[in-house]
Amino acid sequence: MPSLQKAKNMLESLAQPRVEDTTVQVKVSDDARTQVVYEPEEPRRAIPFPRLKKKLKRDRHKRTKVSVFRYAYYDPAFKFFVEQVLDCDYLQLPKATKRTMDLGIQNSSDYVCTPFKHMMGDWIEALELGADILVQVGGPCRLGYYGEMQEQILRDMGYEFTMLNFSHGIEQGYFGWGKEVLKMVNPDIDIPYGVKQLLATGHMLSLLDQARDFYMANGGFECERGAFRHAWEDFLDAMRAATDKAEIDSAYARSMEEMRAIPLNKPANPVRIGIIGELYTAIDENSNLGLDEKLMDMGVEVYRTLNFSNRYTHYNEANLRRTISEYAQYDMGPTSTMTLAAAKKYAQLGFDGLIHAKCAGCTPEIDCIPVLRRISEDFHIPVLYLTYDTETSDTGLMTRLEAFYDMLYMKNVSDAGGVTVRSSGSLRR
Amino acid sequence: MNYYLGIDIGSISTKGVVIDDEHNIVARSYLWTEGNPTQAAKRVMSELSEQLPDNARVVGAGTTGSARRLVGAMIGASVVKNEITAHAVGTTCLHPDVRTILEIGGQDSKIICVDGGIAVDYAMNTLCAAGTGSFLSSQAHRLGVEVEEFGPIALTSKKPANIAARCTVFAESDLVHKIQVGYAREDIIAGLCSAVASNYLNNVGKGKKIEAPVVFQGGVSKNVGVVHAFEEQLGMPVAVDPDGHLMGAFGAALLAADAGPVSIDGAYAAPAATGPFVSGCLDFDAVEDFSFTTREVECQKCANHCEIICVYRDRDLIDAWGNRCERGEIKPS
Repeated sequence: MPSLQKAKNMLESLAQPRVEDTTVQVKVSDDARTQVVYEPEEPRRAIPFPRLKKKLKRDRHKRTKVSVFRYAYYDPAFKFFVEQVLDCDYLQLPKATKRTMDLGIQNSSDYVCTPFKHMMGDWIEALELGADILVQVGGPCRLGYYGEMQEQILRDMGYEFTMLNFSHGIEQGYFGWGKEVLKMVNPDIDIPYGVKQLLATGHMLSLLDQARDFYMANGGFECERGAFRHAWEDFLDAMRAATDKAEIDSAYARSMEEMRAIPLNKPANPVRIGIIGELYTAIDENSNLGLDEKLMDMGVEVYRTLNFSNRYTHYNEANLRRTISEYAQYDMGPTSTMTLAAAKKYAQLGFDGLIHAKCAGCTPEIDCIPVLRRISEDFHIPVLYLTYDTETSDTGLMTRLEAFYDMLYMKNVSDAGGVTVRSSGSLRR
Repeated sequence: MNYYLGIDIGSISTKGVVIDDEHNIVARSYLWTEGNPTQAAKRVMSELSEQLPDNARVVGAGTTGSARRLVGAMIGASVVKNEITAHAVGTTCLHPDVRTILEIGGQDSKIICVDGGIAVDYAMNTLCAAGTGSFLSSQAHRLGVEVEEFGPIALTSKKPANIAARCTVFAESDLVHKIQVGYAREDIIAGLCSAVASNYLNNVGKGKKIEAPVVFQGGVSKNVGVVHAFEEQLGMPVAVDPDGHLMGAFGAALLAADAGPVSIDGAYAAPAATGPFVSGCLDFDAVEDFSFTTREVECQKCANHCEIICVYRDRDLIDAWGNRCERGEIKPS
């Protein structure tokens, strides 16, 4: 807009003959072919202090729309990161549908692991909604290479975008990568503020996971159906609205109070199941077909050590591995140490069963299975192995989960000295 | 005396039993589903009612198998249970000392480990139909032999052919090869039976401790060739119950007996109030007279397009399922 005004002024100045005493100076250089008009600067207005308007390094940058793939319940943290750290607009993706999955399947190799397909679907939908920048968090397994792969596939499809790939940070180090982010995404990032908010993002991830843990342990025993679901949605909304650490903390405190106030009808010895497995499938309800919700509906106390903050923020592989020294001498990959450590911990705590959830083709988790069999044998704890593909049917999953629950329930009752093996009537739902 | 009905509607066959208060089987029926579960259930029920005494009161029903929900809605069952639990319950009732249950059905196969009369671990085949009844029957068709004759033919073999057991596709191409190079038919059939057994042990039974006593059931347990192959490969006797194919239905009936008589005002009031249990005991003629239709509705509320399955008794909607969220909920009126 200022340049338009400038041009207008210029035209006016050319059109009207100038009076001598104006400050317009017309200077024609000796060898210039065209007339060059110099305009006087407008008198500067006094700028109030402190400066209110943000100083832009380059005003040719417009606000960019940034999108992160769908991942379980972490979108408030992604939103916070994009808006507060990157200082861009966040593109909130709507809930995934069958179309998302179909898009992902169509544009991925058949043998790639399932999260790749889910992410492809998310990216395409994000680009359709007008995203400029896609954020791929990368990861400790071949997920680390997926950023480049997906970028290439999307470019071949004809989309224009920038891929902000976190796995570059591993090669370049934090500072090199930080520079890349400044260059690619937003050169106007306020660095001290951004660092502060980055720490707050980590904090938010931990709180999201803490709240989820509480939800999973108690959600199956609510007196009024849907009360927890409602409180959880409210919590996510409050987290989405937060703009700094204080707001995150107060939203968390408020929602936890709300969740603790929900009346529970919990038996003395409920069936307890620990979910272990791969980082994406074991957490993301979209790809594991709502595993934790299904278990909660049956009245199970669900635990899952594996989550984003435990894997990234509080992760100490060496210490975890020490807890399973009789089973593993070295780290087998992204989440395998965590899977085994969690399995052993749950077994020692006397859980009724374990559910191992992985996507089809997840090599590190396949490597875990023989070790899990040993743990299962040593501690007499049954493990249900679930492999998720894009074709996994809800009915088949439900049959297996129901049977697993029935088995654990009957065992639980008979261990507690129950009279009948088939536990009168309680198995009917 | 009170009687309880259990029906197991599988992909290939439909099984039904009626038990009395003392858990004795008083009526049994076994026939092909023929791709029509509602009709199969009706036929099973009419067969069962002929075997029952005139004044028998069937006061509860349970269903299991892949069409359990449909038939459960149809007869107003009080228990609709997955086949793994039903099999475990049924078998542990008949054989309290069993440690391992092998089960091979038409389309799926499972292994259940039992300790002290309680199922402690199970596994079910995933993504692969190798070594199930339907594989055997399709190969029987190829060989021009009835699948029921497989067992006796297999036992006559002196030297079973070695057939690749890794996967149905490999097994089939290997089988064709063995046929074309002129192996004797009984050797091929014996080889198939042992391929089914080793495939089962490698896929489903992988990592599970198989301890005696072992009970083998499901439709394939009627094939003595497979039983023999299991005994050879496990090195222990494998028991086959004469009612082994009915275990799912028996388990469903036991669970229904445990749940007690269907009450008009209980948790299952909806089916009981109008269904075949309206008078407090099952009216076999009512099931026969009603017509049951299933209609598929595609929900248009989002891009998921959930297929919602609606079951109608004559004109009334009695059950609907298949929606992923509450927006697609269709409630029986």
